[in-house]
Amino acid sequence: MSTRVLTLSRKIVLFFRKPKVEKTLKVAGAVLKWVFFVFIIFLLYLPIFIIALQSFNNSQLMYDFTTFTFKWYGMIFQERSLSQSIINSLVIAVTATIISTVLGTVFAIGIHSLTKKKRQKMVLLNQVPILNADIVTGISLMLVFKLLMYIFPDIFGFTTMLLAHIFFCLPYVVLSILPKLSELDENLYDAALDLYCKPTTGILKVIIPSISSGIFTGMLMAFTMSIDDFVISYFNTGQGFDNVSIWIYASIGRQMSPAVYAYNTAFSFLMILVLVIISVKGSLKKRKNLLKFKQNKI
Amino acid sequence: MSKKLIELRNVTKTYDDITVVDNISLYINENEFITLLGPSGCGKTTTLRMIGGFEKPDSGEIILNGVVVNELPPYERPINTVFQRYALFPHLNVFDNIAFGLKNQKVPKQEIAERVETALKLVSLPNFGARKVANLSGGQQQRIAIARAIVNRPKILLLDEPLAALDLKLRQNMQYELKEMQRKLGITFIYVTHDQEEALTMSDTIVVMRDGLIQQIGTPTGIYNEPRNRFVARFIGESNILEGTYVRQNVVSFMGVEFDCVDIGFADGEKVDVVIRPEDLDLIDPVGAKLVGVVSSSIFKGVHFELCVIVQEKEFVIHTYENKNVGQAVGLRVDSYEIHLMKVEN
Amino acid sequence: MNIKKLGKLVLPYLVWMSVLVGLPLLMMVVLTFLKSNALDLGTAEFSFDSWRILFSDVTVRIALKNSFVNGIIATIICFVIGYPIAYIVANSNFSNKLIILVLTIIPMWSNSLLRNNAIANILSERSIVNDVLSNIGLNFIWPIRGVVYESGFSPAVVIGLVLTYLPFMILPIYTVLEKIDKSLLEASMDLGSNKIKTFFKVTFPLSIKGVTTGIIMVFLPSFSGFAIPKILGSGSLVFIGTLIDSRFMNRNYNFGSLLSLVILLIIFGSMALIFKVDKEGETLI
Repeated sequence: MSTRVLTLSRKIVLFFRKPKVEKTLKVAGAVLKWVFFVFIIFLLYLPIFIIALQSFNNSQLMYDFTTFTFKWYGMIFQERSLSQSIINSLVIAVTATIISTVLGTVFAIGIHSLTKKKRQKMVLLNQVPILNADIVTGISLMLVFKLLMYIFPDIFGFTTMLLAHIFFCLPYVVLSILPKLSELDENLYDAALDLYCKPTTGILKVIIPSISSGIFTGMLMAFTMSIDDFVISYFNTGQGFDNVSIWIYASIGRQMSPAVYAYNTAFSFLMILVLVIISVKGSLKKRKNLLKFKQNKI
Repeated sequence: MSKKLIELRNVTKTYDDITVVDNISLYINENEFITLLGPSGCGKTTTLRMIGGFEKPDSGEIILNGVVVNELPPYERPINTVFQRYALFPHLNVFDNIAFGLKNQKVPKQEIAERVETALKLVSLPNFGARKVANLSGGQQQRIAIARAIVNRPKILLLDEPLAALDLKLRQNMQYELKEMQRKLGITFIYVTHDQEEALTMSDTIVVMRDGLIQQIGTPTGIYNEPRNRFVARFIGESNILEGTYVRQNVVSFMGVEFDCVDIGFADGEKVDVVIRPEDLDLIDPVGAKLVGVVSSSIFKGVHFELCVIVQEKEFVIHTYENKNVGQAVGLRVDSYEIHLMKVEN
Repeated sequence: MNIKKLGKLVLPYLVWMSVLVGLPLLMMVVLTFLKSNALDLGTAEFSFDSWRILFSDVTVRIALKNSFVNGIIATIICFVIGYPIAYIVANSNFSNKLIILVLTIIPMWSNSLLRNNAIANILSERSIVNDVLSNIGLNFIWPIRGVVYESGFSPAVVIGLVLTYLPFMILPIYTVLEKIDKSLLEASMDLGSNKIKTFFKVTFPLSIKGVTTGIIMVFLPSFSGFAIPKILGSGSLVFIGTLIDSRFMNRNYNFGSLLSLVILLIIFGSMALIFKVDKEGETLI
C-alpha cells in the first residue's frame, strides 16, 4: 500500500519536473500573480470609480443611474456648507503641511544628531501619534485643548483642528527624513562649516538640499494624512468649523448632495495631475543631466 | 629657520568617560608635512578635528599663530579639511562644490571661476566643472575634495585618511602627488593615517599615537631606526623584538649571547628591549655563528624572501635575497650598529 | 555631524510631545476615578462607577467582542493579501516607487468615508453598479450590508476595513522586503535551499519587522474605529470606538476615558513589540 503511494507521489513529482510542464507552470504562475495583483488594485480603486460614477449621475438617488451629467461639478461651490468645509479642509491641510514640514525637518536634524540611545527614545516617542489609535489621539488632544479653554475660551475650531493636524503630521515628516539623513556622509555638515558656512547657513545650503527627497515624501504624507483625516478632526473642532470628512459623516444616512462626489473626484484627479507633472519634470531633468554627462564624456 | 604655526598644549578630550586624547602637546611648523599615525581609536582623528574646530578640547589650548583658538568655530579658522569619505555635496556639481567656500567668503564671481579652474588643473581634472559629483570615480572624488579645500588657500590643510578608500596603485600615485602639491603650494599639511607606509613616504614629521597618547615624534628615518618603545617598533615596519640585558657600555646580551652595540644611556645590568629589523639580519654559515637556527618557512615576496628562522624556540623574521630550504640550519649575524636598544616599559 | 550642538533642536519637540501625549494620559487616569460633567471639576466627585460599569456592562462586552472579531478578521485578510502584493512589488521590474504610490497614497486622496459609503452602495440591495450593469444585461447583487453574525462578524464592515487599511499593511512590508540584500537569497540558494525554503528561512524572517508594523497599523484603527461600522454596519453594530464616541458626546468623560485607556493598553503593548523589532522606526513609512 505505502509503496504504491510512494511510487504514485514519485510519478507526480517527476511529472512536474518535466521541462515542458515546469515551463507551463511557471508561465501560469506568472499570469496568476499579475491577475491577482491587478485584481487587488481594481478592488482598491473600485470605490473611487463608484464615487466618480455617482458624480456623473443626473439622479440624486444613490442607486439609480439615469443620465450622464457634469452639473454637480458646477454645484460644488453652490452649496454653502459643503464649499465652506472644502475650503476648511484645504486651508487646514496646506497650513498643517507647511508648518509640519518646516518643523519636522528641524526636529529630524536634531534627532539625527543625538546619541544612539537618545535617538531611539525620540524615535519611539515620535511613533506615538502614528501608532496610536485615532480615537485616542483625538480625545487626548481634545482634553488638553479643553484645559487651554480656561485661558483661550474661543480656541475650539480652526486653531484646535490645525494644532491637532500638526500633531499627527509631524511624525510622518520626521520619519521620512531620518533615513535620508543617515544616508548622508557624516562629515557633510562639518564640511560646510569648514568652508565658511555659519551653522544655520550650513543646514540651509547643504543639509536641506541633500535630504530634499525625504522632505518631499514627508510633505506628501503629511498632506495626504491631513486631507483624509476624520476622527481626530471630529473631536477637535468647534464653532461649526467642519472639514469635508465631518461634513460627510454628518450626512451619512441622509440624502447627500452629489456635489461632494464631484468634489472628491475632481480633487483626486487634480492631485494625480500634479503628481504626474512633478514626476515628468523630474525625469526630464534626469534625462537632461544624463545627456549632459554623456556629452561631457565625449 | 621655520616658524611655529600651530601648537597644542596639554590638550585633552573625553567622550562619555573615555579619554580619547590624553594631555597631548605638540607643535607644527610652517610648510611642514606632519602625519598623525596610529591604529584606529588612538585619538588621531579627534586631534585633527580639534585643530579643524569641529570639536572643542575639554582642557588645554590650541594656539594658532600665537593666539588661542579653542573657541574659534571652523568657519573662522584659516584651515580647510579633506574628509575621510570626501563629504562632497551631493546636490552640487563639481564647480559648485569647489566654489562653495569662495562663495561663502564673497569672492567676486570672475575670481571664483579662475581659482576653481586653477584648482581643477592642479588636481589634473581640468574641464570637470559641470560634472555631477555622483558620476565621478573614487579617485576623482578624492581629487575634487582636495581641490575644494586648497582653492581657499588655507594656512593649514587637514587630511583625514584621504586615501583609505582608494586601491593600492592609485593610493601610491596619490602619495607622490600629495607630497608634490604640498611642496608647490607651501601649505602646512596635517595628515591622519593608520598606514605606516603612507606616513613614511610623505611626511617630514611623524607623530605616532596610541590610546590618546603620543608615543614618539620624529622624522620618518628617526622613527624607523630609533623606535622609542615596543609599540612604535611593531607599528612602524616589521621587527624582531627580544628581551636583553645591558651588560656594560657597548655590550648587550640576548638569547644567552653577548653582542657589541653602540646605543648608550642605560645602566649596567639594566633590562632592555632589543629591536632588530628583518633586513638587518644576515645569514651566515652555522658553524661559528653566535645565533644558530632552523628555517621553518620561506615566502617569496617579489624583491626578497621572507624567512622564518627558529632560534632557541624563538621565531626570527629575516628578509634576504637568497632562498634557503625549510629545515635547513643557518647562522645569524647582526652588525653592532643595527642593534637598537629601548627602555623596557612597565 | 557636529553632534551636541544640533541635538538641542529636539527640545521643543520633546516639550510638545510630552504635553500632548503625557498630560492627557494623566488626565484620563484621573477622570476614570471621578464622576463629573465633562471637565467641570467644581461638581466632580470621587467615584468607582466607571470601573464598575467596565466589568459589569453587557454593552461593553459586546462592543469589545465586535471590535476584536472584526478587527482580527480584517487584519488577517490584509496580511494574506498585503504580503504577496508587497512581495510582488518588491520583486517587480517596474518603477516600484510609482506602484507603491498607486497602491498606498493615491487612494487616500479620495475621502475614506466617501469610499466606504461607496462600498456600502455596492453591497446594498439596490446599487448603482447593478443599475449600470443591468443596462448591458449583467446582474450583480450582493446585499450583505448590515449583515451581522452572532459572533459579531460583519462581512461588509470587514470589507470596508480591508479596503481602507490594506495600504498600511503593504507599505511597511514592502519597505523591509525591498531592503533585503539580494545576495542573501543567492547565498541561501547556493547553500542548497530551494526557492520555497529560501523564502521561509531567509526572506520571511527578515521581513518580520515589516509584518509586525503592518499588523499593528491595520489592527489598531480597525479595532478602534467607529465611522466604518456606522456606515457599513447600518448603525446596529456597536464597536468600542462607538461607545467612546457616544460617552464623550454625552459629556461622560469618565467612562469614555476608561474605555480609551483600554485601547491605550493594547497600543502600548504594540509599541513595545515594535520597539523590540524596529528600533529606528524605518518600517513606519
